[in-house]
Amino acid sequence: MKSKLISLLLASLLGLAGCGGGSGGNSGPPPPPPPPVPITQAEAYQFLNQATFGATPAEAQRVIDMRYEAWIDDQLRQPPSLQLPHLQALPPPQFMFQLQPDRADIWFRNVLHSHDQLRQRVAFALSEIMVVSQLGALGGQPYALASYYDMLARNAFGNYRDLIEDVTLHPAMGVYLSMLGNEKPDAARNIRPDENYARELMQLFSIGLVELNQDGSVRVDSQGQPIPTYDQDVIEGFAHVYTGWTYAGAPQFQDVFPTPTRQVLPMQLWPGFHDTGEKTLLNGTILPAGQTGEQDLAAALDNIFEHANVGPFIAIRLIQRLVTSNPSPGYVSRIAAVFDNNGAGVRGDLGAVVKAILLDPEARPAMPMEIDGKLKEPLLRLTQLWRNYNAASAGGRYPYNFAYILFGQGPLQSPSVFNFFSPFYAPPGEIRDSSLVAPELEIATEFLNTYMANYMFCQAFFWNQNPDPSCGEITDDTVLIDMSEELAIAADANALIDMVAGKLLAGQISTTLRSEIAGMLARLPQDQPAFRAAETVYLVVTSPEYAYQR
Amino acid sequence: MKQINRREFLKTSGAAAAFAATPGAAFAQGVGGGAPFDDYRALVCVFLFGGNDSFNMVVPRSDAEYGVYANARNELAVAQADLLAIDPLISDDVLYGLHPSMGSLRNLFDTEAAAIVSNVGPLIEPTTKDQFFNKNVALPPQLFSHNDQQDQWMTLRGRNSSKTGWAGRMADLIRSNVANQQMATNSSLFGTNSLQAADETVAYVMGPDGPQEFAYMSSDPADGILYEQAQAFGRIIGAEYTSIYERGFAAVQQRAIDSAETVNAAINSAEANAVTAYFPQQGPTRSQLMIQLETVAKLIAARDQLQMDRQVFFVATGGFDSHDDQNQNQPGLLGDVSESMAAFYNATVGISIADSVTTFTQSDFGRTLTSNGDGSDHAWGGNQLVLGGGVKGRHIYGDYPLLQIGGDDDVGGGRMIPTTSADQYAATLAKWFGIPDVDLDLVAPHIDNFMQRDLDFMV
Repeated sequence: MKSKLISLLLASLLGLAGCGGGSGGNSGPPPPPPPPVPITQAEAYQFLNQATFGATPAEAQRVIDMRYEAWIDDQLRQPPSLQLPHLQALPPPQFMFQLQPDRADIWFRNVLHSHDQLRQRVAFALSEIMVVSQLGALGGQPYALASYYDMLARNAFGNYRDLIEDVTLHPAMGVYLSMLGNEKPDAARNIRPDENYARELMQLFSIGLVELNQDGSVRVDSQGQPIPTYDQDVIEGFAHVYTGWTYAGAPQFQDVFPTPTRQVLPMQLWPGFHDTGEKTLLNGTILPAGQTGEQDLAAALDNIFEHANVGPFIAIRLIQRLVTSNPSPGYVSRIAAVFDNNGAGVRGDLGAVVKAILLDPEARPAMPMEIDGKLKEPLLRLTQLWRNYNAASAGGRYPYNFAYILFGQGPLQSPSVFNFFSPFYAPPGEIRDSSLVAPELEIATEFLNTYMANYMFCQAFFWNQNPDPSCGEITDDTVLIDMSEELAIAADANALIDMVAGKLLAGQISTTLRSEIAGMLARLPQDQPAFRAAETVYLVVTSPEYAYQR
Repeated sequence: MKQINRREFLKTSGAAAAFAATPGAAFAQGVGGGAPFDDYRALVCVFLFGGNDSFNMVVPRSDAEYGVYANARNELAVAQADLLAIDPLISDDVLYGLHPSMGSLRNLFDTEAAAIVSNVGPLIEPTTKDQFFNKNVALPPQLFSHNDQQDQWMTLRGRNSSKTGWAGRMADLIRSNVANQQMATNSSLFGTNSLQAADETVAYVMGPDGPQEFAYMSSDPADGILYEQAQAFGRIIGAEYTSIYERGFAAVQQRAIDSAETVNAAINSAEANAVTAYFPQQGPTRSQLMIQLETVAKLIAARDQLQMDRQVFFVATGGFDSHDDQNQNQPGLLGDVSESMAAFYNATVGISIADSVTTFTQSDFGRTLTSNGDGSDHAWGGNQLVLGGGVKGRHIYGDYPLLQIGGDDDVGGGRMIPTTSADQYAATLAKWFGIPDVDLDLVAPHIDNFMQRDLDFMV
């Protein structure tokens, strides 16, 4: 606070000096720019909880030293930490589904320990927009899922047009939304193309159901009704585009047993199964008859990519995943403008979009208003704790294949293509009454919140030498947190609370939470450091203020 | 002078405006003056996520109609000989059958416990094919889209912007009638849903086998540190927070604390445990749906302990979005629905409450009659099941359409225009639940657009 005041003073003094110099002619060099206002620990935490899998004191110091933009630029250069090489290095399993725990393991390893934190966070966001899931046919295709996630990570700062092409041709998506094996119409057999992918690519991954203004607001017609972006004819047009694709190297078009290799290669066109007729696309565009499958696909994805909705649509989705549930129209407009043109005339530059989202003034409020920020997803509550407490299992793995049960969500474990929660979810009460949304609250149910709180209890207490049978056996796979720093000072209640609040809340602990923890610590003997440390961590990680991303 | 009737009012002013104007009075007083109910009634919604291909669930088996069906469905058709014959009390001269995996349900149909409501779906007003293509009829927005049509079934909002569900509005209407209830009128065993969203009441979400309690906390002062822990936790939840997200999160935690212990005590009571005999405790039929319905049966068995008079339970299962491999997956899906609903019904008979419990299905939409090679796509109208002692069973209600591609009910690819509206379906259930006729349009906002306010499938 003091240094901030001094720099403000300096800035104003320099400003005055500049004025005085102006009246006396232009002798001497221009005054140096004012030194930037130092970033506080709380500001660094706010930023890192948007850009990583959980702020830590060490990373906060890097942000303070580098400042936001240089930190982002450094992150944009980090190569992706991948999942597929890890799975491929493991011995082939007897049954494919047996590799799913290893897929969860490598996801946790990457998001907890990798240097490409921003890329991983954006890949996670994309995995909640362009959803495929282990729950279903892909349960038997762990290589496909790992490869899909890697594809998202590679494209996280690339161009959106490349991203949707890679998504479209990835066999994981092909299986999940049944474009794989989709055939041209056959009048003799009375079949027509599958409309699944045609519909969801537009509804969920790119433009949405209704026309949007650049600021994300819904355009309405003269009767005040939203204007649909497409109709059934357009869906059927795209459904015909997406015919003729199956696993690369498949022995037959309808292939039911994908090898590990076929799970990860982009789908391949079988021209005989592609419809070559005319096709109706968005905005009245008609694809001519007689094109190849590749030509049709390229033109169709261009048609979607050029739709005016993509900028505001993707802006809202990514802002909601990273920064706030309720961006202002101005914030959406600014990001949509960057999507439309990154400053060098390029449309769809996701690296520029992510950077603009994080550097926008609305992402960096000094004093968050009541609608700023968002609720943290359960996995992010967990990873922030784990990153701060060097969480590890004896066996070195994080095989949390059942994350979706334990926490209500897990990597590529959504119950449907509609993700774990809807971007439009508004809980009853003040949020809905104010026409606001809080997507993450859809899965913060009585049941799941309690389930997670009890998990945190086991995490803090039992798995640190206070056994309780209800938490289950400790195995080589049980992830433990390391509270040794807390144990060393646990006799001193204030120091203990300061330490935990410093790691998890940037020290911004409310007076209620502090006094309630202190009250409980007063009841726990000073010679029981493990209990005291556990109690402190437990009450912080289950608190509303920890669940809130400022 | 032209009299403006209510229907025109709703159409011209927008139902949203009518909605905003009316709740004040009707929703505050409760129904029938707000007196407590003198009986118990429960509705159980079984939501089939993904869009059930229900023209394979109830299938014509007379030769002529089956021939039309088989021609439309091609390789998706269920073999005529495999259909389980049902024997409605009143016949329209066409014979029908159930999917071969639904033997338990067939028995319940023939013993008059179950009925079928055919070709029902979201509508704003009666709709013909000509009107559909000439765009001179009000249609629910975003037909054929999963989440939008789930939302239509659950909220019946049509083109208005209401965010409440029809069960939520029922709970709001009766809230002063059920002031003594120890848990919310609406409870879900399958997560947050818009069916139960309300303005004045909040649905309670538990897990498939009941609520989760905060472990290592106690409401009993004799429990020392566990009691202190619960008290501290409660004060943290109850503190003032500046952010709407903190307040939203704290509100959920508060409801979790308030209800879990009481509800779990009911689920673990002797009355509740008596129902487990009716449910398979292991094996493949013990599905997630079966587990949810067993928990519902337990809560119904323990209704007196919780002082419940009116309840709406939401249970669900997924996997019905059969774009692929429909013939492989459909038997398991429909078999699960049949076995789980039958076990649940038998449990309610066993504890002598069957007359007071009505189970009904909803789903995103029906599916295209035509095939995409190995599956079907999103469509509109479909068939639904109602089951319970209060159901006038062994009937097929509504108009089962001729499953003709390009026929009078097909808007393309075998997407059937509903001949009965989801509003009529809901209003019939709501009336049985105790909502007075005069308030039915608050539950089913487009009911006045349809001739038949009550489909008459409930006693």
